Amino acid sequence: MKGFYTRMGDGKRVIMTKEQIINDIHAGIADAADMAGVPDLKADEVDLLFEIISDKNRIVGVEPGKEVVLTYDIGQLDFTGDNGNSGNGIDVGRRESALLHERALGGDTFELAHADYSIKPVKPIISNEMQAMEEIQSEIIIPFFYGAMPNSGLYYAPDGPYGNPADLMREFKIEEAMQAAEFTAEHLARDIEYVSTRMVAAGADGFNFDTTASAGDADFVGTLKGVEMLRKACPKTYIMVGMAGESVMGIHGSIEYKGEVVAGKYPHQQVKLAEKAGANVFGPVVNTNTSKSLAWNMSRSVTFVKECIRVAKIPCHVNMGMGVGGIPMWETAPNDAVTRCNKAMVEIAKVDGV
Amino acid sequence: MAVPHFMASGMGGIRSAGDLVARMQFSKNMKIDKAKEYVAKKLGLSTLEIADEHIMRELREELKIGVITGVPNAPRGIAAKMNIERLIDTKINSCELFREVTKR
Amino acid sequence: MVDNKKELREAVIAYKVPGIQAAVEKARKAGMPAGDIIDAMGDGMTEVGILFERGKLFLPHVLSAAQGMKSAMEVLGPELLKSGDASTKRASVVMGTVEGDVHDIGKSICSTMLQCAGFDVHDLGRDVPKASFINEIKAGCTMCGMSALMTTTMTVQRDVIEILKQEGLRKKVIVMVGGAPVTQAYADKIGADIFGETASETTTKAKAINK
Repeated sequence: MKGFYTRMGDGKRVIMTKEQIINDIHAGIADAADMAGVPDLKADEVDLLFEIISDKNRIVGVEPGKEVVLTYDIGQLDFTGDNGNSGNGIDVGRRESALLHERALGGDTFELAHADYSIKPVKPIISNEMQAMEEIQSEIIIPFFYGAMPNSGLYYAPDGPYGNPADLMREFKIEEAMQAAEFTAEHLARDIEYVSTRMVAAGADGFNFDTTASAGDADFVGTLKGVEMLRKACPKTYIMVGMAGESVMGIHGSIEYKGEVVAGKYPHQQVKLAEKAGANVFGPVVNTNTSKSLAWNMSRSVTFVKECIRVAKIPCHVNMGMGVGGIPMWETAPNDAVTRCNKAMVEIAKVDGV
Repeated sequence: MAVPHFMASGMGGIRSAGDLVARMQFSKNMKIDKAKEYVAKKLGLSTLEIADEHIMRELREELKIGVITGVPNAPRGIAAKMNIERLIDTKINSCELFREVTKR
Repeated sequence: MVDNKKELREAVIAYKVPGIQAAVEKARKAGMPAGDIIDAMGDGMTEVGILFERGKLFLPHVLSAAQGMKSAMEVLGPELLKSGDASTKRASVVMGTVEGDVHDIGKSICSTMLQCAGFDVHDLGRDVPKASFINEIKAGCTMCGMSALMTTTMTVQRDVIEILKQEGLRKKVIVMVGGAPVTQAYADKIGADIFGETASETTTKAKAINK
């Protein structure tokens, strides 16, 4: 065989020559460096990426002593959810799921979540969530968070009180759209404070903000303000801010956090804002391009994340799931690809956790 | 997705000392090397050894900080976490609340 | 004329309405045909889409550029009709996030980009019933764009294509699919015509197929 078995970004198996893999590694690095203005990877790191991709073993791993922390998001939904969130469709209880992640799945942390996994719908069921937290905290040992998505999309029409910026902008009501985004950011921050402080009062070790900025720059600002409020109310609580994408979408375009426009920020810039807000751990995200190879996606992701880790004062746990962190966009992501991306992130980007 | 990550680079949670390292990252903003060094020092081990299941299995039981297997009378939950608080010199929210409600 | 083309393209990329209007006026005075002016602005809009996706420009900038183009079209449209040139709109496109799926943003950005590129966009929003896509196609839309953000809902894209076949409409419409879990392989499998990894890629492909 003149080549190496590897993958495409959609998970399909392909055979590529050494030259093709090396070319894709360089192209992936160049794309990240160009987009985010971050340094290229060094020659020895390119060699290591090739070594990892071309490894003949199906599963690869880090050297003993280089292990990192493994945090889980989405809570029990990875068991209970449908395939919409890559769940197994097993209606297991939240307590059982938490203890299984602690005792059988090697989790260094875990979290409680509710089925919708957005912050806004937690408000009417906050007492249920507090009871579940209290109950599970009495049995679990690993740090146990409450996790939810800020998901400010739920504050726009038709789900919420504010006009939908995308619709308003198509009618060229640009000012109105920007104002709606600003109102939403404030509303989201208030809801974050309401939900998160109550969950901490119920015994949560902390709060995990998952897929932050999924609805763009105002979503990011609202979350950062909410994080700030939580930090002020609960100085010792653990706060994790995980992102939705590699770049903050500029739906508003000029909304600021502490004097800085947040739109267009990349992981190495996002982490500085999370630090300012009071997060303890940041979760960078890099999106996978399904039409490009694993080599391209993996090297691109590592390039973005390496710079994020270099500038961060707080630990960073990179998001590595379906379609992020170089991992193919496929529900049952192939183990060979997952473990390769994992090793590259730990050994080249030097992440503090996954 | 959980298992391949656990196998490739995970510390292993309470199989080893992953939960303790995570607590130092979150409570003191320690990066991975510093957090591992801190925990290793508290346990009197090297950073390699704190992720070694063979060493940590017995040590966790001795220290009463929780093990993955169902050992009768081995502390779980709040009891194990109270021992962790003393071991790594940190405060844990659920333990603080427990003390508050039981006036201990 | 080459300079005018460059100026028009750059004015759109700079996304200021007065700047776009001035560049159009200058090109008209230099005798540039309305169709060529529109094409040069369209090239600028394509670049604006790429800059948006690379985080260098933001949605209000995209819309400001589109607003500039729209105001230019108020002058250029009648000129085009007078000269007997083709319609200023490329094609009518029905857009929507498929039923059961409430993720709106990616589809909305794609609708905006298509609108900016001169398509007549009928955006039905999110959680759109299959029949609504079919009705729009029966009413004259020649392109259909369907977004799905979940593996549970992407199958609806296939269902709509099957209905189009059953109703004898499939050959009359160009079907575009996109959304996070959708891939080229999936698009091929369900028989879609265009797969877009991003909003600008979808728009570029839609423009190419409409030339």
